[in-house]
Amino acid sequence: MADNTLVLTNVTKRFGGLVAVDDLSFTVKQGQIYGIIGPNGAGKTTVFNCITGIHPCEEGSINWCGEEIRLLSPHKIVQRGIVRTFQTIRLFSQMSVAENIMSGRHIKSSQGWWNAIVPTPGSKKDEKKNWQRVGELLDFFDLSDVTVNAAGSLPYGTQRRVEMARAMATEPKLLILDEPAAGLNDQETLGLIETIYKIKDLGVTILLIEHDMDLVMEVTEYLTVINFGKKIAEGTPDVIQKDPAVIEAYLGSEDDDE
Amino acid sequence: MKKKQILLYTAFFLIMALLPLVANSKWLAVGTTFLIFSVVALSQDIVLGKAGMFNMGQALFFGLGAYTTAILNAKFNWPLLATMPLAILVPALFGILLAGPIIHLRGDYLLVTTIGFNIVFVQVLQNNLGGITGGPNGIFGVESLSLPGLADSPQTSAFYLSLIVLLITFVLMHNLEKSKAGRALHYLREDDLAAGAIGINTRVYKIFSFGLGAGMAGMAGTIYANQYSAVSPEAFDFVQSVLFFSIVIVGGSSIPGILLGVFLMFVLPEIFRDFATWRYFIFGIAMIMTMILRPRGLWPASFGNIPKELIRGDQNGR
Ligand SMILES: Nc1ncnc2c1ncn2[C@@H]1O[C@H](COP(=O)(O)OP(=O)(O)OP(=O)(O)O)[C@@H](O)[C@H]1O
Ligand SMILES: [Mg+2]
Repeated sequence: MADNTLVLTNVTKRFGGLVAVDDLSFTVKQGQIYGIIGPNGAGKTTVFNCITGIHPCEEGSINWCGEEIRLLSPHKIVQRGIVRTFQTIRLFSQMSVAENIMSGRHIKSSQGWWNAIVPTPGSKKDEKKNWQRVGELLDFFDLSDVTVNAAGSLPYGTQRRVEMARAMATEPKLLILDEPAAGLNDQETLGLIETIYKIKDLGVTILLIEHDMDLVMEVTEYLTVINFGKKIAEGTPDVIQKDPAVIEAYLGSEDDDE
Repeated sequence: MKKKQILLYTAFFLIMALLPLVANSKWLAVGTTFLIFSVVALSQDIVLGKAGMFNMGQALFFGLGAYTTAILNAKFNWPLLATMPLAILVPALFGILLAGPIIHLRGDYLLVTTIGFNIVFVQVLQNNLGGITGGPNGIFGVESLSLPGLADSPQTSAFYLSLIVLLITFVLMHNLEKSKAGRALHYLREDDLAAGAIGINTRVYKIFSFGLGAGMAGMAGTIYANQYSAVSPEAFDFVQSVLFFSIVIVGGSSIPGILLGVFLMFVLPEIFRDFATWRYFIFGIAMIMTMILRPRGLWPASFGNIPKELIRGDQNGR
């Protein structure tokens, strides 16, 4: 239970009258690449917002490594090893790629606020060490050609990589990706798949939302399908592909059965 | 720092250091004001330019520093320089206390709230709270410091003291830029949701920026009290805060931009003093034109100041 397992139990999130996530439970085990799929507006992003503390849910439980994290603020959740990327890329767009990645080193830096006023030999060493780490990440994500470019000026595919590099800079145990392939061309998507495997090899658990079914079926080991906030199926990709409820949700009978 | 920057700053300080040799007493006073207001504008830049928070009450912290010095010096006979640590700490503490409950407010709401604080502050000064602020007339008889070798010219002393304080401010700004906390402020301004999602305690760093900005403004307060040997409420009115706010927006969030802004706002009107009431006309026009033509300011913040080792090949950014 304790080591790096994420357990959602009966999580419900409402926005006014709308139930965006409805009594959802699932478990992500250490080392998995876990997928969440579902039609547009199904509540996938909302689930991620609940896990990462951006929109805390009022009902249910979110347990990480044996600790209830449901009501923790976003930065505390990052400190516990869970970090995410956004469906609509959210980089610090005027700042350089290197500075963006450096933001992920924030929680790993030993500097205190006072070092902003008086640097010490210790804080200078820490600064150097973290920049070095940024250099390694630039190489890992193949970004060293754009180190000093403003993040906002780059093509989407590159921006997605910067966002992943920034997240990985926090040295997470669980990386959450919200539609990492959105807006990417085929070439870039292939690169993304490779990157996802490289991250997995570092021992990082991955939880992702994706609409690109080829990608989902290839990389994920286990899936949860949600529609209207509710889980309609879960299982391995092979099983999910044949599930009648999933096929219906995707082919979409417009009329509501409920 | 790049070679070019070092050269630029050295030239700036040399020219400023030589100014008292050529300037008459009027221009020396203008020069001193330029230096002091540059410190306040740079302090405003920490909150507004770097952290991106619409604070329109910076004159409050400037005033708090000036009054702390004036009260301790004129009423309790503390040596002028001995008052400076408290003139920094008292506003910094107030900055932290005032920011705490309002920091979550969105831009425009925060702006109105800080104006409110500024108005309350001036009212408190005018109503002579606790009998120590001297009411509408303020406090007179603050010591004007004589620096060694300049005993016969308090004006020149005030100028050099201000220049030293500006130099200290530059060093502080440089340290801030090269630190984790300084970068955190930039991340906040760019996207505070993303900053939180990457592990930055946004609330703490927003309050930090207020505290640091307030302390720096308070330090400028000490040298202001020294220059005029007096303090009075209207110098710290919220209109003054509007000017500091505009300087950062018009100049851009960079040291040269802000110095340029202070020059345009406070020095240029003196040069055009003969035009009497028309003298702010130029600044008004400059403000409008800048915002239309250069929305990020005359000399915007530049990013990508990262260690050289990280830059491969001959990239030169954008
Ligand atoms: N902050 C919010 N306030 C109000 N309603 C919201 C908010 N965020 C999401 N919703 C609503 O919750 C529902 C689920 O949205 P969500 O973004 O989670 O869907 P999604 O599955 O991620 O869809 P997509 O595939 O289009 O990204 C939608 O009806 C949406 O309008
Ligand atoms: Mg979504």
